[in-house]
Amino acid sequence: MNSAAAISPILAIAGLTVTFTGGSSPVRAVDGVDLALGRGEVLALLGESGSGKSVTLRTILNLHDPRRARIDGKVTAAGTDVLALEGRSLAAFRGKVASMVFQEPMLALDPVYTVGEQIVEAVLRHETVTRSAARGRALELFERVRIPSAERRLEAYPHEMSGGMRQRAMIALALASRPQILLADEPTTALDATVQVQILLLLRELQRELGLSVIFVTHDIGVAVEVADRIAVMYAGRIVEQGPVRDVIRKPRHPYTIGLLATRAHGGRLIGQRLPAIPGSPPDLANMPKGCAFAPRCKLRSDACDAARPEIVKVTPAHHVRCIHTERTVGL
Amino acid sequence: MASIAGAPSVPSEKILRSPGYWATVWRRFRRDPVAVGAGLMIVAIVMIAILAPYIAPQDPYKGMTLRRLKPPGTEGFPLGTDELGRDMLSRLIYGARISLFMGVTPVFIALFIGSAIGIVAGYAGGWLNTVLMRTIDVFFAFPSVLLAIALSGALGAGIMNGLISLTVVFVPPIARVAESVTTGIRNRDFVDAARASGAGALTIIRKHVLGNVLGPIFVYAMSLIAVSMILASGLSFLGLGVKPPEPEWGLMLNTLRTAIYTQPLLCALPGLMIFITSISFNLLTDGMRSAMDMKA
Amino acid sequence: MLTAAEIREWDGGEPARGAPLLEVKGLVKHFPIKKGLFGGARGVVRAVDDITFDVVPGETLGIVGESGCGKSTTARLIMDLIRPDRGTIRLGGRAAGTPELSLKAFRAAVQMVFQDSYASLNPRLTVVESIAFGPTVHAISRREAVQRARGLLTRVGLEPARFAGRYPHELSGGQRQRVNIARALALQPKLLILDEAVSALDKSVEAQVLNLLLDLKDEFGLTYIFISHDLEVVRFMASRVLVMYLGRIAEIGPTEALYTASRHPYTTALLGSMLSMDPDRRTREAPLAGDPPNPINPPPGCRFHTRCRYAENLCSEKEPMLEATGSGHRAACHAVDPLSGHSRARRTRREGA
Repeated sequence: MNSAAAISPILAIAGLTVTFTGGSSPVRAVDGVDLALGRGEVLALLGESGSGKSVTLRTILNLHDPRRARIDGKVTAAGTDVLALEGRSLAAFRGKVASMVFQEPMLALDPVYTVGEQIVEAVLRHETVTRSAARGRALELFERVRIPSAERRLEAYPHEMSGGMRQRAMIALALASRPQILLADEPTTALDATVQVQILLLLRELQRELGLSVIFVTHDIGVAVEVADRIAVMYAGRIVEQGPVRDVIRKPRHPYTIGLLATRAHGGRLIGQRLPAIPGSPPDLANMPKGCAFAPRCKLRSDACDAARPEIVKVTPAHHVRCIHTERTVGL
Repeated sequence: MASIAGAPSVPSEKILRSPGYWATVWRRFRRDPVAVGAGLMIVAIVMIAILAPYIAPQDPYKGMTLRRLKPPGTEGFPLGTDELGRDMLSRLIYGARISLFMGVTPVFIALFIGSAIGIVAGYAGGWLNTVLMRTIDVFFAFPSVLLAIALSGALGAGIMNGLISLTVVFVPPIARVAESVTTGIRNRDFVDAARASGAGALTIIRKHVLGNVLGPIFVYAMSLIAVSMILASGLSFLGLGVKPPEPEWGLMLNTLRTAIYTQPLLCALPGLMIFITSISFNLLTDGMRSAMDMKA
Repeated sequence: MLTAAEIREWDGGEPARGAPLLEVKGLVKHFPIKKGLFGGARGVVRAVDDITFDVVPGETLGIVGESGCGKSTTARLIMDLIRPDRGTIRLGGRAAGTPELSLKAFRAAVQMVFQDSYASLNPRLTVVESIAFGPTVHAISRREAVQRARGLLTRVGLEPARFAGRYPHELSGGQRQRVNIARALALQPKLLILDEAVSALDKSVEAQVLNLLLDLKDEFGLTYIFISHDLEVVRFMASRVLVMYLGRIAEIGPTEALYTASRHPYTTALLGSMLSMDPDRRTREAPLAGDPPNPINPPPGCRFHTRCRYAENLCSEKEPMLEATGSGHRAACHAVDPLSGHSRARRTRREGA
């Protein structure tokens, strides 16, 4: 798990800072993120809206518009410096080394081509094979993602498929180019509960079979627990807690993580009482406080919290927390 | 006592009184140099039109054939003279009056008529919508230029008739935009919420719909002013619409076209004025549209 | 005729205590799909297909189901935002839109909070104007309406001095939703329908808003219909739960009974799809295969039979009715109806249930 990441991570993000310069004042969406993904590992990037999780993910494929986003830091994937890539080398990297599954397949799939054609195109872009071989591969992928009547479904257009089916097609498309890293940006958020479970199990199974390294962005703790080996919790562009899934879920040490888990985990058991809610709302990313971003909402706030950003505390070698009060969060 | 703190305790305090919608639009508009520039240009042209009697150096109607087709830069005639010896500069200045008038008036009248039809059709939906909009669609079968020409031809030349035919040409597109914007608003949850509070259709249209649709309709209508000017010029060029000796840019293009081989610059001048005015309107409406889009 | 004022005063005293506040009977709504050249309908979307249920004063009735089940359409039918094709809705025993109960009075008594907090507010009006609009429609003076609006803003946790003059786009999602709640309460309703009201909010904000809803319910003596796809949240909020599938009711009953001993296979599958939250006991198998079907052509007989592991021939032929399976607990499934002829039902009965 983390030792794998430490030895030879397949993906390493160091000091990543992404600032968007579009509006009236610059917005720092990602603020000094360090992340490592080991081979064959599944890392869940957990956070609410505005936490910077999607922005981080998109940086890995260098998807940001250079005119609007200023990126500092380094992203290394399978030995390649992603942020230095451009043009053809970037196109070759995308799909071949890392590919992405998006939240809304209707937006990510081209509506004027059949899904089969789109997969064939993806295969042909990265491998020199005949068209019929590519089509055979598309069929194989469809079967692998458990789309029934695969042969017939290859001829379908995205709008002719149901939500769950579309997401499977999206996954097949992402796998078409045999990537080593799979980036999933909230792929099940828009799905019904019964379909979400199917897709999560499918992703877990595929990951095991193909040995994929996965980063899974989600706002849902339940999803993170189902798929991840490690969880990194993000808040206001920073990673506030990171560690093996059992540690983070059973022994959380950052007040934000503790707060999130408190509202979520026992909804049923608190009938009649009030939920332990985190007061306040996420900070304005254009106006970040100097110290800990979570301090204004934190029960354990002290002056030291506002003075400077907290350093990483290693609660265990694999479990890192950015908080100066970790000794008070044991067993909360 | 409520157990939650609704208001954030974050120290970044916002202003207590937020600016109104239009104040925000104005502030955003001000920051767009292209839009502001276009706006100033239009203001300048309007001022020229208003102050024509005071700034035109000569009488635009008086001409001397001896002086015909003098090039720009001639003594006493900074922009030359036209085919009847009339001062180009004065004719261009006076021409602004009629051209702007022919550009703005039909659009404004069409704005009222088209909005009324479109908003009613959009809010009512159902058969009323179908009847109104399909009738409007009939007019769309005709390309606007042809429609304008046909109507002007039938009514005869003259400013009044030109106005009528242009108004008729612009009612359908405005009605269509009005209907589409209204339908979009009508399906938003806040209209449902207003219905759910027991308000009647007229109250809802007045309080909730109008405020949200008039803006986009108005901006669209303004973008038609440029088209109207060009159409009016076109009508004059063809001998419909404005009649000689009125100075109107399109008419001037027509009468000067024979001089294109001898004095090409003279011919270009009215066309240049049409171009500057219409592009200014276009850029202005683009800027207004961007300024009004709160989510951007 | 029951005026708005009378509904406000009415406290369950008349009709008799325990009698329902809202009665929905045989509600049907089909939406035609206009594909023909002249708008001739080719097929219908059977969004809501004969549902009947009551809402008891003071309870929170949860409605759950997946896409296409008709829960949002049901909400809009109750609110009279859409006209039903068939069926009746009675508030306090009186039908809306009749001489017994004017539509306006009904509207004052039943209000709704929508899912999209931004789309629910007129972007051109300030927050206080949006909240004050409803009362002005009911002949409340503008001054009093604004005063009431400011009071409600305080009540939902938004300081009027800071928020009254704001526009919707200047607020966060959670703040906007509080405004929507205040707006719904401005007419002093008895019944509040929350249609996925917290689904679009971040989890930390959702908890705040849920707490607020509970406080308001106690303070104003409200009754809630809580529509959501989030089963955890529904379990926390609701006293009774209604499960819908493809326009019909699959199961209805007290929350704990439903969650711990569900009777309808769909409910069981839905509950089984809840994520485990335990890294050592992850979900092994998806309880249901495939996507929720389209309400355009629902399967014959029991609508769920195509995905049900207990389906038998009977299930594709005959549509099951809601039958009692416990105190206040009913399910529409042949397998739990001892008289249906389903093999499982007979077995249960033989085992001396």
